[in-house]
Amino acid sequence: MTDATWITLISLGVTFFFMLGVPVFLVIAYWVIGCSFVLGLTLDNMGAELLNVFNKGFALLAMPLFILTGDLINRSGIARRLSDFAYACLGWLRGGLAMASLGACGLFAAISGSNSATTATIGSMLHPEMVKGGYDERFSAATAAAGGTVGIIIPPSIIFIVYGFLMNLPISDLFVAGILPGALMVVGMQLACWIICRMNGWGHLIPLNLNRVLKTAFGAWLGFFAIGLVLWGIYTGKFSPTEAAGVTVGFCVIAGLVSYPLNRIMGSRGERSLAEKSYAEMLVVEGFKVTEIPSIVVRSAQITGILAPLIAISVVMQQILSLLGAQQTIGDFVTGMGGYYAVLFTSMVIVFFSGMVLESLPVTIILAPILAPIAASVGVDPIHFSVIFLVGASIGFITPPYGLNLYVASGVTGVPYFRLLRYTVPYLAALISVWVLVSLVPDLALILLPNR
Amino acid sequence: MWGELVDIITAFLSQDAWEIREAMKSEAAWLLGTIVTALGGLLVLWIYKRVPLLDRHLERSIMVWSYLAIAFIIFWGVIDRFVFQNQQPWSTTIPPLLFMIMAWFGAAFNVRLRTHLSFSEFRTMMPRPAQLGCLVLDAVLWFAFAVIVLVTTTRVTALSASNFQIVLGTDDVMQWWFLITAPLSFLLMTARVFENLQDDIRNWKSGAPLIKQAVIGGDT
Repeated sequence: MTDATWITLISLGVTFFFMLGVPVFLVIAYWVIGCSFVLGLTLDNMGAELLNVFNKGFALLAMPLFILTGDLINRSGIARRLSDFAYACLGWLRGGLAMASLGACGLFAAISGSNSATTATIGSMLHPEMVKGGYDERFSAATAAAGGTVGIIIPPSIIFIVYGFLMNLPISDLFVAGILPGALMVVGMQLACWIICRMNGWGHLIPLNLNRVLKTAFGAWLGFFAIGLVLWGIYTGKFSPTEAAGVTVGFCVIAGLVSYPLNRIMGSRGERSLAEKSYAEMLVVEGFKVTEIPSIVVRSAQITGILAPLIAISVVMQQILSLLGAQQTIGDFVTGMGGYYAVLFTSMVIVFFSGMVLESLPVTIILAPILAPIAASVGVDPIHFSVIFLVGASIGFITPPYGLNLYVASGVTGVPYFRLLRYTVPYLAALISVWVLVSLVPDLALILLPNR
Repeated sequence: MWGELVDIITAFLSQDAWEIREAMKSEAAWLLGTIVTALGGLLVLWIYKRVPLLDRHLERSIMVWSYLAIAFIIFWGVIDRFVFQNQQPWSTTIPPLLFMIMAWFGAAFNVRLRTHLSFSEFRTMMPRPAQLGCLVLDAVLWFAFAVIVLVTTTRVTALSASNFQIVLGTDDVMQWWFLITAPLSFLLMTARVFENLQDDIRNWKSGAPLIKQAVIGGDT
């Protein structure tokens, strides 16, 4: 048998493993091992790379730190304050609470960098209120799932870090490029939400109250400060993304620890409405005790323990793909489709359908090294392509059968997975429209870059 | 083969990195690696059963302390630079090594909780015998992979030690002190694989559900 036949058989074999539910990490690992045997490569290369990936990557450290940031702002109560602010601003519109939920997802995403954390946090906070407020529970769960997609587009973003690390692109540029497309995704979904809520008459209106808006904005100051810190540090070049992540973690830990005793002294623990709270009480959040920190960190470490090994093994996979000339083969196919727009469209279709069956991380680590050079060869700006690629990958979070956010939303709201699928369609339409717009208008991704 | 096996064991007993490195080049390393992974995994499992505190807290503690150390070093690095106009040269080289430790011990922890990403739609719809077959397949694949990583990362560790590689930015911190945690984490992972397999067989016999919803942030 020829090498090509062997590699085809190995690829089919690991695909079968994947369909049987074998962890993606093992699927990739055994593909690497099989191909190494066929190509006559020593397995020592894999062992060395599994260690070297971490040693080489200071930039990659931003990933665990931003994951931790998400968990810290959730536990400290900062995320709750951000969502209160979003509701105060949008509650006067039909569907205001649902739109606020999407806005809160955008604000949460601007401190954290994870889609599932965004969905889980905002979904568990606002779903009960949305159901109480007269929204269909399936629509409410779908809103949380869809809102979470911006978690990886609005900076900081874990997947942007991985993409930049794999493709050797400046992560700070990728972060900046994600700002406008991320904001557009939020606005697009809010528009879809408003139309659906108007059609169905969902949601109770609350009058727009300037005092309430100011009070909640004041109460969310820690969140705004953290967002400002991250964006200012990265945008001005004062910090690298990893340092920005470290500083944000430090800030959230200090804010949480200082707030806890202050909050108790003010006697404002427990469920009191915003109207009952004074401005002084709004100054501090719920916070947490030192003894709670390990339980917060364990959760983040567990997520890192899923993502980091996947990145490590995928770096080895990339090397094998290069040796096999896979980039060249797929490149020939994609470039054979035509020029700039044909390559862009074909890449988007590939990313979209891959996102239906794979999580965004495997989609990125498998496809980005193949598609990005091809896109660059027809003149697509690498930073612009990264945004196109990752907006597409983020849409995969709400496309069945493997829509991670749908599972997370189903888990935190208790709405069965298949029941909420129908209600994601309007959001899907809005996200695809924004995706097409971002791909056709490069300036949406590139205009904010300081060096352009 | 037996002669090479004895050579490897002798090299480890001599505690000479260069000798270990040379001895580990032989094919017998795979045989020894399989034996060590299996026995080591069983030993760790036995310890877990005897000391439930370790079962609950070993990987967690390593993960939490590495995580906090990374965050603190980077946070302090920025404060040091902006406030004290100073920066420790190791503040960018030690955290990646701690990240490596956290990642592989985290991987072992996730094996226990079965939270590694997977496409389990078909598996959950399968009949019980097929589900058990899939779980056994997982165990076999994890074990074989652990053997490969244990052998190859031990080789890398021995190479680093024999070259006296020092962590950049430090005077006397050896890289192999960190690298050796990778094969150790795969020993712990093997123990978790065996532990899961025990649970699966127990569930199979008792008629309890074989596949349960994995929970991020769950308990061992």
